[in-house]
Amino acid sequence: MNYGLYTAFLGMRARQRTLDAQANNIANASTTGFKAERLAYSTFEADKKSLSDRQSLVTGVAATNAIDFSTGTLQQTDAPLDLAINGDGFFQIQTPRGVRYTRAGNFSMNASGQLVTKSGDLVVGERGGITIPNQGQISIGEDGSINVEGSTVDKLKIVRFNNPTNALSQDGGSLFVANGTQAPLPNTDSRVLQGSLESSNINPISEMVAMINNNREFESMQKSVTLLMNDLGRKISGEIGRL
Amino acid sequence: MPSRALLTAATGMQVQQQNVDNIANNLANASTAGFKRSRLEFQDLLYQNMRQAGGAANASTNLPVGLQIGLGARSVASARLFTQGDFKQTNNSLDVVIQGSGFFQVRQTNGDLGYTRDGQFRPNSQGQLVNAQGDALEPAITIPTEATSITIGKDGTVSITVPGQANAQNVGQIQLAIFPNPAGLEALGGNLYKETGASGQATVGAPDANGIGAVLSGYVEGSNVNVVEELVTMISAQRIYETNSKVISTADRMLGTINQAVS
Repeated sequence: MNYGLYTAFLGMRARQRTLDAQANNIANASTTGFKAERLAYSTFEADKKSLSDRQSLVTGVAATNAIDFSTGTLQQTDAPLDLAINGDGFFQIQTPRGVRYTRAGNFSMNASGQLVTKSGDLVVGERGGITIPNQGQISIGEDGSINVEGSTVDKLKIVRFNNPTNALSQDGGSLFVANGTQAPLPNTDSRVLQGSLESSNINPISEMVAMINNNREFESMQKSVTLLMNDLGRKISGEIGRL
Repeated sequence: MPSRALLTAATGMQVQQQNVDNIANNLANASTAGFKRSRLEFQDLLYQNMRQAGGAANASTNLPVGLQIGLGARSVASARLFTQGDFKQTNNSLDVVIQGSGFFQVRQTNGDLGYTRDGQFRPNSQGQLVNAQGDALEPAITIPTEATSITIGKDGTVSITVPGQANAQNVGQIQLAIFPNPAGLEALGGNLYKETGASGQATVGAPDANGIGAVLSGYVEGSNVNVVEELVTMISAQRIYETNSKVISTADRMLGTINQAVS
């Protein structure tokens, strides 16, 4: 087995996946509350017979992704049910598949007056689903309390995670799902802003630069594949010539 | 595969295309009375799980993060924003605006009720108040031809004065409808909306009570389109469209590179 060839293949595969993730980031540049995915590479070694055995060492690269939970820019919309979180909190959403978390606060009401996401999933308050009476101006305080014409109706449930990158995975539909490694904690210092939305945290320029860089790395690995294959070809023809 | 990046970038271009279509409609209606702008809402599509986060790395440790590759974006809703438009003074007492929430009800030619924020009503040949398409205001209000002046109160009461009579005559009251979820109304064109399962049942009542807005005569509600904001959104949509097209060319170059390697 030619280990160099395999190493180059692993490197190319990792860069292909990076491009896939970058394509997804850029495609979601306008998705409210979207968080960028970053692929992290890690080296791996396999088939190592002993510490001194350098010959049988395969090194390569594998990728894992981490979600970049940095805050996106806040965009003012003035719609009463557009909410943004200033801080590290998440809105809690009840879906038929279970509890999900989101930073996308572009909520609406459904036909029965409940606060829902644009996919129709219930936004969770202190007592489960939130029903807002159709009685006039809705104002939502910084602590998430919902007031209609001066009387408090309910309070949004805002939770936080100590390390959201490790606790949450993407679930599509601007939702995140907890993987059970950390329990959600009560909100400490996040503030709810009414009439604003958090844009996606994608920076198209840095994504483009990273994409060009990724493409060049991919090309260099292709060169090493070509070199290795030529080298291999020469060796084989040399050996055969000597026979 | 770079072809996954190709398809993902295509979804990104598609949503930006729809975004520009929507902005074009908002801008085209910037001068339409009672028009409410809509905004496209986007969501990320599904994710391919390649390594499950929390899976066992070995007998004692778990993977802290997995490997998930997303498959792009989609537009999920065109949310209509029912914020108040600007009021333009017309001094015509039959131009009515709603200050707050609520819709005028008109009876369409097919017999269905339509809901509108455009309150420019005129008497038809029988003196009945109708909108620009001739759909009658519901409940019907008839203005006698001999009326010299028409007054519409905050609560929707329509009164007229006729020559030779000192006291104003009450000829009816405008009723407004409110919905639990106005964003769920279906736009029919012609400034009309239709009740849907998402909007919920209309609650009809007199203006200026029970959460229904007051009416104000002599004004027209302009559209709530903010041209500057639409232009900014359009520029950003165009740039993101371009960036997505760069992803396509990059993915294409990577596929080309592979083809070179095997040639």
